[in-house]
Amino acid sequence: MEEVVKINIDGKEVEVPAGINLIDAAEIAGIHIPNLCYMKGMKGVGACRLCLVEVEGLKAPVIACNTKVRDNMIVKTKTERVQEVRKFVIDLLLSMHPLDCMTCTKSGICNLQKYAYEFELKESSFTRKKFGYPVDAANPFIKRDPDYCILCGRCVRVCKEQGTNVLDFMGRGIESKVVTANDRPLQESECTFCGSCVDACPVNALLEADRWRKGREWEYEKYNSVCMLCGCACEIKVSVREGDIQKINSGAKDGSVEKYLCAYGRFGFDSLRAESRLSTPLKRVNGELKETTWEDAINIVSTKLKEAGKNTCIISSASITNEDAITLKRFATEVLKTQNIGSTISLYSDPKVFKNSGKADINSSDLIIVIGLNLSQWDRVLPAIDAAVRKRVNRGAKLIVINEAETGLSTVASINLRGNEIESIKAIITALKQSGAEIDKQTEEYLSDVREITEEITKSAGMILNAKSPLILVSPELFNAASNLALIKGDIIAVYPESNARGVALMGIETESKSYAEMTDSKYSLLYIAGNVPLQNRPDTDFLIVQNSYMNDIAKNADIVLPVAEYLETSGTIIDYAGRIKHLNRAIDSHGKSKSHREIFREIAKKMGTTLKMPVESEIKKAADVKAKISAMPFEKTKNLHFEPDKFIETLNLTVINNSRLIWLKEAFEVKAEK
Amino acid sequence: MEKNIIIKVCMGTGGVASGGEEVLAKFREMITESNLNAKISSNCHAQKVGCRGFCSKDVLVDVIVDDVKTTYKHIKPDMVERIFNEHVINGVPVNEWLAGPEYNNFHDKQTKVVLSHCGDIDPEDIDSYIAVGGYNAAKKAVLEMAPEEIVNIIKNSNLRGRGGAGFPTGLKWELGLRIKSDVKYVICNGDEGDPGAFMDRSVMEGDPHSVIEGMIICAKATQSNSGYIYVRAEYPLAVKRLQMAIEQCLMKNFLGNNIFGSDFSFDLKIFQGAGAFVCGEATALMRSIEGKRGMPSPKLWRSAERGLWDKPTVLNNVETFANVPKIILNGANWYRKLGTERSGGTKVFSLSGKVRNTGLVEVPLGISLREIIYDIGGGIEGGKNFKAVQTGGPSGGCIPAELLDTEVDYESLARAGSIMGSGGMVVLDENTCMVNTAKFFLEFTQAESCGKCTPCRIGTKRMLEILERITSGKGKDGDIELLEELGNHIRATSLCGLGMTAANPVLSTLKYFRDEYIAHIKEKRCPAAVCRDLITFTIIEELCKGCGSCKRVCPADAIRGTRKSPHRIDKELCIKCGSCFDACKFKAILKV
Repeated sequence: MEEVVKINIDGKEVEVPAGINLIDAAEIAGIHIPNLCYMKGMKGVGACRLCLVEVEGLKAPVIACNTKVRDNMIVKTKTERVQEVRKFVIDLLLSMHPLDCMTCTKSGICNLQKYAYEFELKESSFTRKKFGYPVDAANPFIKRDPDYCILCGRCVRVCKEQGTNVLDFMGRGIESKVVTANDRPLQESECTFCGSCVDACPVNALLEADRWRKGREWEYEKYNSVCMLCGCACEIKVSVREGDIQKINSGAKDGSVEKYLCAYGRFGFDSLRAESRLSTPLKRVNGELKETTWEDAINIVSTKLKEAGKNTCIISSASITNEDAITLKRFATEVLKTQNIGSTISLYSDPKVFKNSGKADINSSDLIIVIGLNLSQWDRVLPAIDAAVRKRVNRGAKLIVINEAETGLSTVASINLRGNEIESIKAIITALKQSGAEIDKQTEEYLSDVREITEEITKSAGMILNAKSPLILVSPELFNAASNLALIKGDIIAVYPESNARGVALMGIETESKSYAEMTDSKYSLLYIAGNVPLQNRPDTDFLIVQNSYMNDIAKNADIVLPVAEYLETSGTIIDYAGRIKHLNRAIDSHGKSKSHREIFREIAKKMGTTLKMPVESEIKKAADVKAKISAMPFEKTKNLHFEPDKFIETLNLTVINNSRLIWLKEAFEVKAEK
Repeated sequence: MEKNIIIKVCMGTGGVASGGEEVLAKFREMITESNLNAKISSNCHAQKVGCRGFCSKDVLVDVIVDDVKTTYKHIKPDMVERIFNEHVINGVPVNEWLAGPEYNNFHDKQTKVVLSHCGDIDPEDIDSYIAVGGYNAAKKAVLEMAPEEIVNIIKNSNLRGRGGAGFPTGLKWELGLRIKSDVKYVICNGDEGDPGAFMDRSVMEGDPHSVIEGMIICAKATQSNSGYIYVRAEYPLAVKRLQMAIEQCLMKNFLGNNIFGSDFSFDLKIFQGAGAFVCGEATALMRSIEGKRGMPSPKLWRSAERGLWDKPTVLNNVETFANVPKIILNGANWYRKLGTERSGGTKVFSLSGKVRNTGLVEVPLGISLREIIYDIGGGIEGGKNFKAVQTGGPSGGCIPAELLDTEVDYESLARAGSIMGSGGMVVLDENTCMVNTAKFFLEFTQAESCGKCTPCRIGTKRMLEILERITSGKGKDGDIELLEELGNHIRATSLCGLGMTAANPVLSTLKYFRDEYIAHIKEKRCPAAVCRDLITFTIIEELCKGCGSCKRVCPADAIRGTRKSPHRIDKELCIKCGSCFDACKFKAILKV
């Protein structure tokens, strides 16, 4: 049971968890304590001085962000004294602020504006000054305008906490400024353009670079959805105006270490309106792809499918929704009656892994063990998970990295175990056994010839024993070996490159006969590719159907191309790596005449004489609700998985990168790499 | 009988700056190379000593012949030969160069505890320190005393933090001892940054071993095994001498593993600060050692609970540590009796400004300001009138003439609107403009603000702007009230001590010298004739002899006139530099 304390805030009696600060406690009581520098989940730094409150028994006001609740505390948040100093602080800030709210893009969501309004400050009572600092707008993503900056340091802290470490303060006194190293433009720093600083900025000092005259907060419709560009499956908040996306922010809860979105997820949406976006069905006429109608396309496809029958081969991407996947499964079994259905999952995992992969919240783990994963924000290999791990470490969790070679996370790990991962896992289990932990009999049998127990191994075992809730993040190929460790203590979660691999697998799309590689290498009379797959050359097939959102290499080689709505144009659900069902909400209309995967399957089925049942929520929940069963497994890597996560993710996102401002980023990094 | 002769040359920062090294070299040359009689040269040696406080008379040289000390002032290398020949060889002091009664008065009224060896021993030689009883206290503490015993002595001595805030040292140590941890730290704060303050510097330069000894005793008392001395890099001599002292201690096993042959170990390192004033604040100082930007953080914990790298840390000022060995040797009672009821011992002040004897003084707490300024400081320079004394540096305030009998201790100074602070004491005379003085200190604090919290970052700047406005004759009605409002709010809302006290110089001058502010704002007049935009220079025709001195020094070519007839200042061209005023021998130039 969580310990609670009773406090009285502005006359309201509330029970709150022990150990939280007064800002969070007041929020529970429904009272907002003004603040500009506080960030939920992080330590209060007391920079803005706005959250001063009076506590009975204390002479001077205290800052709420850095004061913990005590039992029977009596807090007053709106006394004349504190209101007066709050007004004073806002007054001072306004004296250094441009005060151009009428044209400021941040208007409506700016905290300074909000408090100026609340404290009835039309302008500063002091002489106003402006530095006239140059604006850093040399990149297409983030505009930094230090003249608006109120030095709250939120951007500096998020950047540091997630380990990107690009921003810091420079200078003293009134000339303090948030800068990159040597005050160079962002692209000359280690910035990954994730935009966490933009989400953190309470004013107009950090903003999406393209926002000028693209509408202000109150003009946007907001949609909560999920980014489908990689296995992080980050929650997003999409802002839409006049049918077009204007910006995307991280949609994760404030205070969660998962509040992060990489440059792809945040800025890649311009590709939705790119020229290479497919807007109508295409068919090959005299060797060339020509536009056609849906009716015609579906006629051709259904005829071809009837001819091919059981010989049809379907390959699906694992970046489609559960609803699409379940419809596809039905389409294959009920209509085509083919068993040749597989997905990209088999490139990097045994689909069975997803049945056993656990559910856990990284926010509550106090020890994270990362096995065989080269997570990186800079190479954009599951960047949000990399950031989340680093944040947890900065909030006090321990980290053990078990990896063949050094990885980016090694620098922040408590312990790094290099060399063969399997050997390290075996050694830890042996050390745990020596410390008296109970080991599964089967595991013990698998556990032979353990290499030397080093001091680091003993320390790792000690950490596991002392941890309250350890979390193992593992690459799918090492999942089985690591299961033995999870069997002793902790949760285990497989981490992989595609956003809905777990959902697609649980919805029943898994290799029944052949793997992806085998399917693409064999000869089928008809190959149907659904979604974005990393194929460039046309496999040996008589007829090729490509169902995709962009005109990519494989689409160019198809006989029929069916345009699909992108994830931002679809509703549905996915299951993320941590086993949570996440909801996509359609933010904008499908591009051109494109349709969702499931619509297309249903229309084809109908043409072929079968009405496919619509997917319903309950069946998805049921399919997703697998009791993860961890059991002892041989200490072996899963065989035949050959893929490099960075290349794989980049290939999957190639169309998004090449058709959006992300191309600038790619080029800038290439230039940097050459230097 | 052979005479035993020791020559001590002051080589504190002041001594070195005035040519101490050359003077010492000359003496040594005289001893070794001159064709003296062998008896003298074998029994005569010259050594460097640290600062003895009276820097305005540097280079000071003691010639000690068989325990009879004679002090010379303002010695230059070319004067050495005569002193040597007449005094050292022939035994007759050179009368006209003697430091004289002024020097003795300056010292006689002081009580030297911290400075007792400063200016007497060779700071670069550990044996010189040991010869005066050095490290006996540390040895006793490490070998014979239990931590609780040490803590009790310090508690009973009433020693309070000499960095300025005056927190009882014994209580701090007690907490440090009580908290259990695998690693604990002892830190010496040598980041002295107040304008006009040089107490800690002189101690670190003149008697570095006393600081180290104090730290060893603290380490034993709090059961800590590692320590840092945080010294600003602008004190290269202090850094050098502390480094030498640490190395000598390691050789003697006073530092390192199993010190003094006990099972206690203490490792001490120097960390050089990069010169930010705010790094004198404890939390900022610790962040700085951690390699982060030196910014204060709100204190959820006491440093003794969670300090450097989140480990229990006892942090004290240089002077506090330097007191410790003497307390251990002489007992808590002895020390407590030196001071007042609430604060034991002595305090070192850097006396500067318009006082006749500037320098370093050490006085028992409870002495009056008047005694320091008049008896030790010799009164106001040039026979002018005393106006105020600024204590506590940029965080302190100005105390006016009517409060000259205020006792010097933490509480009394606070009641007078100032603070004890680290020990800066600037004497101001009738020719000082109080608005300008407040502006000077605020210029300092606003530039040294770390920029983290809003009131200090922006508020001090806004106050400074108002002061600039007032001193340039553009003051407005309501400015005084605005200054007070700003000052009080900044005091109430700032994150750290720097911000909380930043407004003190303004608030205290507003309290005691409000009429000067009013004169500036309403009459556009600077009563002390200091603020350039508010004064004019005029030549009084009747007094002008037409000598042309003023015309010659005027950099703006603003003075017209022919020889032997009265000159005139062209007000359009005058830049109010005051050169003519200084140059006129006939007091014919009026500055109002």
